[in-house]
Amino acid sequence: MYAMVAAGLALMLGVARLINFAHGEFFMLGAYAFWFGYSELGLPYPVAAVLAPAVMVAFGVAYQRSVIRAILPRSWHVQLIATLATSIVLTNLAIIVLGTQPKEVPTALSSRVLDVGGVRVVWQRLLVLGASLAIFWALQRFVARTRTGRAMRALSQNREACAVVGVDVQRVAMVTFALSAALAAAAAALVSPLFNIFPDMGTGLTLKAFAAVVAGGFGYVNGAIAASFLIGLTEALAGSYVSYAYKDAIAFLVMIAVLLWRPQGLFGRRIGI
Amino acid sequence: MRLALTLATLLLLAFSAGAQAPPIKIGFASAMSGPAAITGEGVRWGATLAVEEINAKGGVMGRKIEAFFADNKAQPGEAVSAVRKLADVDQVDVIIGQTHSGACLGAMPVVKEIGVPMVIEACSHPKIRELSGKGGNEWTFRVALDDEIMAYTFARYMARQHVKTSSILAMNNDFGRGAATAYDAAFKKAGVKLLSTEFFDPGQPDYRPVLTRLKRANPETILAVILASDGAPFMRQFRELGLTQRIFSRGSLGSAEFLHQVRDNPKIGDGVVEASYWITGLDPEWDRKWTERYKIPPRIHGSLAAITLRWAVVPALEIALKKHGKADRQTIRAALEEVDVKDSPLGPIKFDANHQAWINMILIEMNDGQLRILEKLPTSPALLN
Amino acid sequence: MRRATAVALGALVVAAPWVIAAAVPRQQRYVLHVLVFTALFAALALSYDLVVGHVGSLSLAHPAFFGIGAYTAAILATAAGWPFLADLLAAALLAAVVAALVGVPLFRLTEHAFAVGTLGLAVVAGIVANNWVEVTRGPLCITGIPKPRLGGLAITTLPGYYWLALGALAAVALLYRGLTTFRLGRAFHAVRDNEPLASSAGIDPLKYRLLAFTVGAGLAGAVGALYAHYLSVMCPEEMTIGLTVNLLVIVFLGGVGSLRGVLVGAVLFTALPEVLRLAPTWRLVIYGLLLLVVVVRSPEGLDSLLRRLGARVGR
Repeated sequence: MYAMVAAGLALMLGVARLINFAHGEFFMLGAYAFWFGYSELGLPYPVAAVLAPAVMVAFGVAYQRSVIRAILPRSWHVQLIATLATSIVLTNLAIIVLGTQPKEVPTALSSRVLDVGGVRVVWQRLLVLGASLAIFWALQRFVARTRTGRAMRALSQNREACAVVGVDVQRVAMVTFALSAALAAAAAALVSPLFNIFPDMGTGLTLKAFAAVVAGGFGYVNGAIAASFLIGLTEALAGSYVSYAYKDAIAFLVMIAVLLWRPQGLFGRRIGI
Repeated sequence: MRLALTLATLLLLAFSAGAQAPPIKIGFASAMSGPAAITGEGVRWGATLAVEEINAKGGVMGRKIEAFFADNKAQPGEAVSAVRKLADVDQVDVIIGQTHSGACLGAMPVVKEIGVPMVIEACSHPKIRELSGKGGNEWTFRVALDDEIMAYTFARYMARQHVKTSSILAMNNDFGRGAATAYDAAFKKAGVKLLSTEFFDPGQPDYRPVLTRLKRANPETILAVILASDGAPFMRQFRELGLTQRIFSRGSLGSAEFLHQVRDNPKIGDGVVEASYWITGLDPEWDRKWTERYKIPPRIHGSLAAITLRWAVVPALEIALKKHGKADRQTIRAALEEVDVKDSPLGPIKFDANHQAWINMILIEMNDGQLRILEKLPTSPALLN
Repeated sequence: MRRATAVALGALVVAAPWVIAAAVPRQQRYVLHVLVFTALFAALALSYDLVVGHVGSLSLAHPAFFGIGAYTAAILATAAGWPFLADLLAAALLAAVVAALVGVPLFRLTEHAFAVGTLGLAVVAGIVANNWVEVTRGPLCITGIPKPRLGGLAITTLPGYYWLALGALAAVALLYRGLTTFRLGRAFHAVRDNEPLASSAGIDPLKYRLLAFTVGAGLAGAVGALYAHYLSVMCPEEMTIGLTVNLLVIVFLGGVGSLRGVLVGAVLFTALPEVLRLAPTWRLVIYGLLLLVVVVRSPEGLDSLLRRLGARVGR
């Protein structure tokens, strides 16, 4: 789950050179959109699960046109503060509009358990794993095969050259944004049946996603994915075997250690910001 | 002549209008923003409903109540600001609240300095009892039971049920930590062996690592200090992993709120025994009004604030008004010491030398989507021996 | 600012307790309390701006140093009975030492990795404060921190706290001024604006960054100690990431890299909510929007925006 959120963040970073601290809120809003579709409108799970990313794509585009276009040329400090401000606004608006009571979206798969030789897993978790892998594979193909995808890659490598060659930078940036939002929302739709939905759920996630993006090699999507898996794994292991209370601390310390050992991230090449 | 009469009548009317007594101002402080905002929201709703009700019946001996709210963000620093705002800016005569132990502890020195009585509706830190009352902070009073009192009572009950071993799973905040410390000592006294203690961060969604650790420790029972909002994912994952321990809970796991969260499969909560001092059903009239107004089952903190208002503060106001003809901070404080209510929904409310009210503890069992009161246990200082 | 206005303003600030008592007698204590918070926050923001504004390193670790200072003072005062000035000094020193130790490896990272590294430090410090119950009492908080005593004088009244906080702010502001002007200031700015050029000119970026980081941390620790003594209670909730967000808002809203800007930001941030008196969640929404607008239109903060407006109006 971390991986999908981090991948979206990394995409934006690498391609659009943008730090988006409001990314966690994409996840949160995606979760609420899913809840709305599934619980309030009564749509079946797959429809609601596709609705959420669709809604978030629209939101992502709106966000890009309003806020992002203004801060894109600025320094990353400005980007950070501006997106942080957006995050504050979104989280608190969510509290006002949606209320503090956590929402639950149990689905058929989240209650049924699969028992394989003593290891018990709810079907939904398998869905999360399967869907994530499918989505990553699709993402890879998109970036490697389609024109837009290749344009995105080119943009991340050399912005000026792209403008010269005639790539529509604005359009590609918008697509990247939309994709990023959709990824976060899809993650939310997959994961929400397992957990609670509440307005604060995005904030911690943004921090971890940011850490994963940097540790994986700034802007390199596969690196971010790998790093997120590393964080998730460390947390789970530390939580089970060392100490549950300190697991977040341990995960972060591991991240820092990785960065110290390889300052450009696990797989990264420096993007030189 | 007629002019003089009209003037006189007008003057008389003006005087009698001005002679209408000013409202009694009551301040409510809780976590209105931040991660614990759900508790402050409950307090605000509960207080609003209760105050409206009282005013609709004519107020307290003819005096209306005006409610003011302040945000303590569940932090001691903000609690100080909240108290000062209520006392200095809003000029309230009495404060109800704080809800969170850190905030209570931060607020206590300030209410003493300013000289405004504060009646605590939910903070569970035992230190509050030690610090309040005669010889200590004479301005703070508490209606809720603290962890020490509840732990000793609950542990003794568990021992009576022939429980031999247990593990504690608690929220990693002031509530959970305080409870864990109390139960550690209480288990020892009651003869229950404590195998392990685990803490989790409220609001985080993944309980599998901690459940794995609990599985490994293999206790007979789990003492869970957890709220309904976390309880729902916790119980789902508990069942998912196929754990079978008996769960004894202290928080709001066994509650209407929890059942609302798991309404797709209420049997998830079967067998949980909850120790509390409040539950829906103690005051059906209140439950009905709340549900009608807010469309969800009554929330614990809101209901506690309302009960504190109606059965502790209002009696004190009445005593103050009868005895002294006025209800200001000093008279309310003195009056609180004389409050002696036998039959509030929580049980008897009478503040002892430490300004603690020894209300009833209730044991609730959750089964098949229903909550059933198992036992009502009166409490008293003798329990702590 | 003209000399006369500056002196008048200074006199007003010092005489504030009496002015307030005359203007709003019943609310005097509340207003003073808000001013104490404002002064402490301003001092903290200045210490933060040293690192973010003048050396250009986006550190997210400030809550850790604030917390280390606060807890050191709290523990020394309650468990070991240390006098106020001694635990204040110890708090500042310990925070500075931790910063120095952590800074050396962290500054070798790229800018973004540095941010993540400092974030990690803040997260770890918060978790330790919450869980190392033997020392910090975790969420049960350290209570009963005694009031500050300067020599024989015990500070127990609100005007007294106000002057203490004011004095601290003045000291921090002076230090800030001293560090950011003259040659040292120029060296800092050189490192911030053009690192390769600076190092080729013989200015070692690592040394200067570390200096700003350490001093900033020490000051933050000192403010933490003052805060703990003022509240007489210290809990882990006071040193969360939320504090960084607040500091970022103050510094960037007011004016990053400028003394007046940060002061303006601090006043706005602490005093404005009291004036607005809105529901807390709406207040945060307004902050967010305000910050967004300001940072987009005028990245140097309100201060430079106002200055530009003032220039246009043509004093």
